Amino acid sequence: MIKKFISLQWKEFIRSSSFQKGVAIKVLLFIAAAYIGGMAIFAGMGLFFGIQKLIPGIDPMHVVNSFIIFWFFADLMLRYFMQQMPVMNIKPLMIIPIKQKTIIHFLLGKTVLSFFNLLPLLVFIPYCVTLLTQGYPPLNVIFWLLSIVVITLALNFLNILVNKSNTVFYIVATALVTSASMQYFGVYNVSIPSGIVFGELYANPYYIAIPIVILAILYYLNFKYLNSRFYLDSAISKKVKEVNTSDLSWLNRFGSLATFLKNDVRMIWRNKRPRQVLFMSGLFLFYGVLFFTQKTYEDMPGFLAFASIFITAGFLFSFGQLVPSWDSEHYKMMMSQNIPYRKYLESKWYLMVIAVVISFVLSTPYIYFGWDKYAMIAAGASFNIGINSFVTLFGGALNRVPIKLNEKAKAFSNTQGFNPTQLLIALPKLLLPVLLFYVPYYFTDYNLNAGIITLALSGVVGLVFRNYFLTQIEKVYQKGKYKTVAAFDEK
Amino acid sequence: MIKVRDISKTYGQNTVLKIGSLDIPKGQSFGLVGNNGAGKTTLFSLLLDLIQPTTGYISSKGIKVHESEDWKPFTSSFIDESFLIGYLTPEEYFYFIGDLRGQNKADVDALLAQFEDFFHGEVLNQKKYLRDLSKGNQKKAGIVASFIGNPEIIILDEPFANLDPTTQIRLKGIIKKLSEDNQVTVLVSSHDLMHVTEVSDRIVVLNKGEVVKDIETSEATLKELETFFAGSDITTFEEE
Repeated sequence: MIKKFISLQWKEFIRSSSFQKGVAIKVLLFIAAAYIGGMAIFAGMGLFFGIQKLIPGIDPMHVVNSFIIFWFFADLMLRYFMQQMPVMNIKPLMIIPIKQKTIIHFLLGKTVLSFFNLLPLLVFIPYCVTLLTQGYPPLNVIFWLLSIVVITLALNFLNILVNKSNTVFYIVATALVTSASMQYFGVYNVSIPSGIVFGELYANPYYIAIPIVILAILYYLNFKYLNSRFYLDSAISKKVKEVNTSDLSWLNRFGSLATFLKNDVRMIWRNKRPRQVLFMSGLFLFYGVLFFTQKTYEDMPGFLAFASIFITAGFLFSFGQLVPSWDSEHYKMMMSQNIPYRKYLESKWYLMVIAVVISFVLSTPYIYFGWDKYAMIAAGASFNIGINSFVTLFGGALNRVPIKLNEKAKAFSNTQGFNPTQLLIALPKLLLPVLLFYVPYYFTDYNLNAGIITLALSGVVGLVFRNYFLTQIEKVYQKGKYKTVAAFDEK
Repeated sequence: MIKVRDISKTYGQNTVLKIGSLDIPKGQSFGLVGNNGAGKTTLFSLLLDLIQPTTGYISSKGIKVHESEDWKPFTSSFIDESFLIGYLTPEEYFYFIGDLRGQNKADVDALLAQFEDFFHGEVLNQKKYLRDLSKGNQKKAGIVASFIGNPEIIILDEPFANLDPTTQIRLKGIIKKLSEDNQVTVLVSSHDLMHVTEVSDRIVVLNKGEVVKDIETSEATLKELETFFAGSDITTFEEE
């Protein structure tokens, strides 16, 4: 029976639309996966020596044990956002004589094969190999590794059990933030109990029984949950929540665009995929921290300009590149309703501009790193509004991938809206600002202000030509209209 | 009102629609029937400029639909669920359409009040998003939304499918009233010969992309259609 399921799954996989992409994308995806896998292996190996070098005198194993709790917290958070719940088309199986238990076991077993369960293996196997070469006791190391794997699997099932419960997510998030900040400010050292617990796991191989028991309990709970709800009207059917409608009349100040803006705000708020994008674009805000704190980049303002663009461009990039796709589910209506194309595009443009402005306001704390950095961010924001917003909209016209609004993007199968043309369009978005900054900077004898002013001015110039740009973009969209309608129509 | 001239649509070798000339005068209620693949939805999609004609053109009030967007203000339609915005509640959706068609909240509310019977208490004030409504209720919302803003042309693709008997009967009443009262041109396609003969002044039968019958509706129409479809079914089988 299981064999049949596996063959069904295999067919589902190879016949899914995301798999049937061009060779170029498959190669790119493979490279990306290999890159991340390689990084993880490298990190695993580097972990031991890195800690040894950074914190000499303490057993790196102890340090790892102390901080591994944060790894698990982060794991849980990431799962909440990214991990897709196992969906198998159960409906047709329900009326066929297959033992219900078999189906549920298969369903749960399938979740084990998730990228999130693979990641710890990629990191910790090389780490443990390093440990072994350094003469650590093999029995302890192997059982410690197994414990980590078992705990990861336990997290996997915990996540399924609590899935979609925001309460649990907030509890975990608060736990992570408080423990991390308490650790940072030295109020309470979470790493001490963590060190003890995981240290014990390492010291006594047979303690592995504890995580195994936890895993078994969680698995059983999942099984019981699904088993008792294996009816069309409970586990399998979607839950319909009562909705709260909000007025949003404050958007009326945008005049005739308000209709569209309201709609877009609701779209972002009420659907999983755009919410995910919104969250991701929030992370871009922290891009500066990566660059501004590194001494290496101090003398490379080109890189700093690059980072400055990113800080305010999170939403612009991640939302904007999928512009017509956001309306793919009702595109035919959009095209036959009384909507001038121009207004539709303009409202998307405003949305991106508003997002850049909000990101800019939120980036105020970067003043801490110096006014020059802040000026750079401001110049970057100007460029984003005046140039990048149009380039992104233009790129969107070439993107004809339908997206399902209320489904999260799967990690690593997110090839939606990912094609070579888009990559080409992405280049000027990133390289142009660096050039606009670096060239004047270079020719004025390394005058930072020259670069900043040029970058800021470019944005203003772009704004001056706003109508021209929008008209051109509108033409591109109009030209591709039939193709887009047809592409969005195939699910 | 609507002029179809030499229109054809070809995918590769396969011609799915080929109509030499078809005129629909203002205020006519026009029924389109045909088996699966006859080209009904293709014709409606061409009318709404959702697909590009291979040859010919369709003009609506003198505006060639694939050349200008000016037909949009007086045309409304409900083809399938992709005409709904799933993440809005029915009310929000109606107001959104109202906004697009220059109707304020009060106008929309007044219109919705007329359709209370039709909604049967299952569409308004449900605190549900459109995507969570049943297929039938989604259809009700979509059909009523196409009446917002006094359109002069209303295009409904298979409006009777998925509706319960009570709603089907009410919908017939609504369509009849529309064509009597105003000068509204209603285009309806259906597989249900009885319904469509009841609501239409004129019925056009499509078969394999071509107009094979163009009938002014009378007492005899239903019989004529039934004979045609019973016969054409047999011939289709023989050909294949």
